[in-house]
Amino acid sequence: MKKVWVIIKREYLVRVRTRAFAIGTIVSPVLLLGLIILPGFLAERGVGGERQITVLDQSGDPKLFEAIKERVESRASAPESEGESRFGGSTRFVLTRQIVAPDEDPNDSIKRASNGGGAKGSEQAYLTLGPAVLDDIAPEYHAKNLSDFSIRALEESVSAAISERKLMRAGFDATKIGLYMKPVNLKRFKIGSTGESKEGGERQDFMIAFALLFFLYMSVLFYGIFVMRGVIEEKQSRIVEVLISSVRPTQMMLGKLIGIGLVGLTQIGIWALTAGLISMFGAAIFAKQGATIPNIPMSLLIYFVLYFVLGFFLYATLYAMVGAIVASEEEAQQAQFPVTMLIVVPMMIFGLVMANPNSTSSIVLSMIPFFAPTLMMLRIAVINPPVWQVILSMVIMVVTILGSVWVAARIYRVGILMYGKRPSIAELGRWLRYS
Amino acid sequence: MNVVELKHVTKRFDQFVAVKDLSFEVRQGTIFGLLGPNGAGKTTSIRMIVNIFAPDEGDVLVMGKHVSPELQPHIGYLPEERGLYKKMKLSDQLVFFANLKGVNSAEASRRVDEWLKRLELSEWKNKKPTDLSKGMQQKVQFIASVIHDPDVMILDEPFSGLDPVSVNLLKNVILDLKQRGKTIIFSTHQMEQVEQICDDICLINHGTQVLSGGLKEVKRRFGKNTVILDYEGPDSFLGGDLVKHHNRFPNYSEILLNDGADAQEVLKRALAAGARVNRFELVEPSLNEIFIESVTGSRSVAGSTGG
Repeated sequence: MKKVWVIIKREYLVRVRTRAFAIGTIVSPVLLLGLIILPGFLAERGVGGERQITVLDQSGDPKLFEAIKERVESRASAPESEGESRFGGSTRFVLTRQIVAPDEDPNDSIKRASNGGGAKGSEQAYLTLGPAVLDDIAPEYHAKNLSDFSIRALEESVSAAISERKLMRAGFDATKIGLYMKPVNLKRFKIGSTGESKEGGERQDFMIAFALLFFLYMSVLFYGIFVMRGVIEEKQSRIVEVLISSVRPTQMMLGKLIGIGLVGLTQIGIWALTAGLISMFGAAIFAKQGATIPNIPMSLLIYFVLYFVLGFFLYATLYAMVGAIVASEEEAQQAQFPVTMLIVVPMMIFGLVMANPNSTSSIVLSMIPFFAPTLMMLRIAVINPPVWQVILSMVIMVVTILGSVWVAARIYRVGILMYGKRPSIAELGRWLRYS
Repeated sequence: MNVVELKHVTKRFDQFVAVKDLSFEVRQGTIFGLLGPNGAGKTTSIRMIVNIFAPDEGDVLVMGKHVSPELQPHIGYLPEERGLYKKMKLSDQLVFFANLKGVNSAEASRRVDEWLKRLELSEWKNKKPTDLSKGMQQKVQFIASVIHDPDVMILDEPFSGLDPVSVNLLKNVILDLKQRGKTIIFSTHQMEQVEQICDDICLINHGTQVLSGGLKEVKRRFGKNTVILDYEGPDSFLGGDLVKHHNRFPNYSEILLNDGADAQEVLKRALAAGARVNRFELVEPSLNEIFIESVTGSRSVAGSTGG
């Protein structure tokens, strides 16, 4: 075991001392944090830009335009929902009214205005209010860019203004209409593990879950591939020859797995600690700047570390096996594909699990050892799955890890000495039986 | 005392028999040449001695015990295929290899300094292998195989790629290790080197022993059947029934005689053909010649297990 320790030490120190490690450790969380707080920050500063909208008004109701203008322009300065602020709700609309005779086609005006429209015309949008706009004939929005999230904000304002005008026309008291039309937002409460409900945003859950999922996925993939490349380096440079005259191949493999695993653990440890500290102390500071910092519970971070360790050992063992089978990095590109697929699949289906975290299929998927690190982590972040499910998933993983270590060790000790062509599956099967 | 002993060892890989009923002994304090053509089973045999492979049949004994991880610190191995960690400083790297053999770091770094000085690499101590020439890397690799002061050293082509000065330096180191009672198994294709430093040899082909024994004794076994002839003039006389084959070198010819052929007869024919003879010498065949002869199987002298 002393020899395993020597190998662990080398694998760890050689990697932790590199500049790449320092950069990776610092840059990735800064990037992610930026992704989370930047939109809010930008919204606050109103960097969303300005949109000129020409309202082609055939309704003959000047108050309608005023109602729309007031709503649209006031809302832009104070986005109401967080989703809006993230997705361009900070765009400022500037509305100008152009009266069109009821028997004219508003499209003609648009054509005329856009004809030969240069760069400036591209930002120009049109809102048509038909003669019967108050009788359920929908207004139209014409613009070159329709994939703009801010349209949703505009739509809400226009809808509210039209409803207001309809109520006025029906004879409601103008002073009370504002009251009737006040939107009602659902207050969201999350039922915690203790059964207590705590107020919290759905969006915050989503962001945390996604961040944890993403970091787990990246870390497991990264460090798994690190292991594979380490094995290939030793094999390709023939260092293995010297190593295996001193240690058993299994010790070599374990030393490498643990050493590189500790590098990963150091990195995500730094991340988790930073996240914890920011959650505890930083939130207040950032709140003053107008940006919200998601509050990540400590228990989640602990699960995150646990699932990293399990996920790393499972995948790194498989990657070590791939490294032992192939003769070069180029060959590894293809050979690693099945393993990488196992990591990528949960990233493709996590939306299903997130939407329905308690369905039978979600539970089953999160129990599959190769998916558990990501999907069970996701479920833990979104809901509180029963403890037995979490424990079961971990037990299944541990058993799978033991199995794959056994197989990988046997493949490894033969593979690292084979420099020739890549073996077939049948040959790999025979390697398992070598003494 | 036999430090390394193989007794009727067989090793198979699937259908392929890499080593078949192989036996040899290496005496303590000697340099033992393990010879054979490519694919003869040398590397497999060596790998069994250093405990990388286990034999399917037979026994591999080192210092009287079956090979096991406990014996590994007593064995130093310089593989034919060699490599160093590209991005690790020489000193760190060598200390790591010593640690793996159970030498503690303080002692290891003392020895690293000593060896680097001895092989004239001290100034490269904090450099990485990528900064070194191939020959220098080779010397570093050699240090890695002896840093733990093993009793048995297995050196596979230790001189390949070295300039003559370095070859000499390393050869002296090896002879010095022998002086200190270390046992060395030396594998190479350079027969002149074997003739220079080996005490005993074992030649294997197709996984089985073809020839073995003390170097001098093996050569004697072949008898003085080789004529070294330095001459000027026609070489038509080399064709006859006396000559098995000959190697024409720029300054002389090495003529291997057929069994029972008289060397004097060759000289007579040479003179009769009008050649001017400057040198005529009857010698034992070169190891190179013995190697080729034995491997191609044209000679039926099977060596007994010598000691």
